[in-house]
Amino acid sequence: MRVERRCVINADRATVWKIVSDPDCYPSFMTNLERWETSSDQRYGVGARYTVHWKIGSVPVGGLIEVVEFDDCRDVAWVGITGVNLRGRIRLRDTSQGQTRVTFRLSYQAPGGILGYIADRIAVRQVGRTLADTLKSLKRLVES
Amino acid sequence: MATLGDIMEWTRRQVVSRVPKADLDQRDPDYIRDQLPGTWLLASLYFRADVQGLDRIPAEGPVLLVGNHSGGNVPPDTFVFTLAFCSYFGVERPFYQLAHNLVVSAPPLRGLRKFGTVAANHENARLALDSGAALLVYPGGDYEVFRPSWERHKVDFGGRMGYVQLARDAGVSIVPVASVGGQESALFLNRGQWLAKLLRADKLLRLKSIPISLALPWGLNISDLAGHIPLPTKIAIEVQEPIDVDGDDQAVHDKVMASLQGGVDRLAGKRRFPVFG
Repeated sequence: MRVERRCVINADRATVWKIVSDPDCYPSFMTNLERWETSSDQRYGVGARYTVHWKIGSVPVGGLIEVVEFDDCRDVAWVGITGVNLRGRIRLRDTSQGQTRVTFRLSYQAPGGILGYIADRIAVRQVGRTLADTLKSLKRLVES
Repeated sequence: MATLGDIMEWTRRQVVSRVPKADLDQRDPDYIRDQLPGTWLLASLYFRADVQGLDRIPAEGPVLLVGNHSGGNVPPDTFVFTLAFCSYFGVERPFYQLAHNLVVSAPPLRGLRKFGTVAANHENARLALDSGAALLVYPGGDYEVFRPSWERHKVDFGGRMGYVQLARDAGVSIVPVASVGGQESALFLNRGQWLAKLLRADKLLRLKSIPISLALPWGLNISDLAGHIPLPTKIAIEVQEPIDVDGDDQAVHDKVMASLQGGVDRLAGKRRFPVFG
C-alpha cells in the first residue's frame, strides 16, 4: 500500500529541514509514535538506523529502519530492515510564495499473503490519518 | 471390561507420550512473521486489543514475564501479548511461552510450537531462560484460567509461586503482565475441581479442573477440551515495571501479586461494560 499526504508550511526549506533532519525532533511531531530509538552509532544521514514503532490497530507496528537518502534540504528517505516491508520519504520543495511544500509518503506491505493484504487494506485509513496528523504537528512545530 | 480407571490411565499414557521434548529450535521466526498479519487482524478488529507498557520490558537478554491468565482453553490474552511482543521487539528476539501438556500435545495445536510454545515444566523454563530468551509464564494456569466469570478481575495463582525460584535460579528479573477481558469470552460458571477429583483427572492428567461454562457454540461446555468460540471481548494488557528477586519467595510473590492486582484494578476501572469494554 502506498499512502501520501501533503501540506504547505509557512517557512523556508532550511527551517523545515532543520527539524526533519534531526532524529531528536521526531518524537515531538510524529503522531502515534510508540518507540523511537537511535540504533546505530551514526546519529543521522545515510546509513543511520532507528527503531521505530507506530501504534496501528492493537499493537505497535514497525521495526528497524535505515536512512537510504539524505539530500540536504530536499529529501530524507528510509527503508524497513525488520518488521513489515516499509519505505518512507519526507520531501521538501519550494512553493511559488516562498513557503515549503512537505510530502510525507509511506509504502508498506505486510507478510502473510492474503491476510497480509487484508491487514494492509484495513490499516490504510489509520496510516493515512497518522501521516496527516504528523504533518499538522510538523507545521505547528515549525510555525510556532 | 475396562474400568473408568483403565480408561483414564490409557488417556494419561497417550497424553504423556505425546508431550514433545522441548526443542527451542522449533520456534520459527519466519513462520511467526507470516502469521502476524492474521493475528493483528484478530487482535485489532475482533478483540479491539490495547497493549501498554512494552517499553518496560528490558530491551535485551532473558526475562521472566509473569501474567494473570484468562479465557479458558482459548485464552485471547496469550496470543495478543505474543503478537505485541513480536511486533515490538521483532520476531528475531527469542520468546517462549509455557503451556499445559494438553495444549502442546494436541495435534491441531502443533503450530503453537513454531510460536515458541513449550510444555510447562521447570526444565523447559530454565532451558529457555538460559538460552537468553524472554519467557512468558502463567503460574495460575488451569486453576486461574477457569475461575468463575464474576471473579474475572481477581488475580489468583492458587498459591503457586515456583516462578520466583525459577527467576532466582536463572538470575533474571520478573516483569508482571496484567490483563483483563479474557474471562468475559465465555460465561465461566465453576472450576469443576470436584469433577476433576471425582474422575481422578487431577492425578492422571495434571488437570486440577474440569470446568463448567456456557460458551459458543456448545451452550453448556464441560471441560473446554475442544475449546470454544470466544466472544469478541475487549482485551486490555498492561506491562509493568520489572521486579528484582531480592527477597524470600513469599515476599517477591507478594510484590508480583500486588503489582498484577493493581494493574488489573486499573484496567478494570476503565471498563464500562463486560465484553464491550
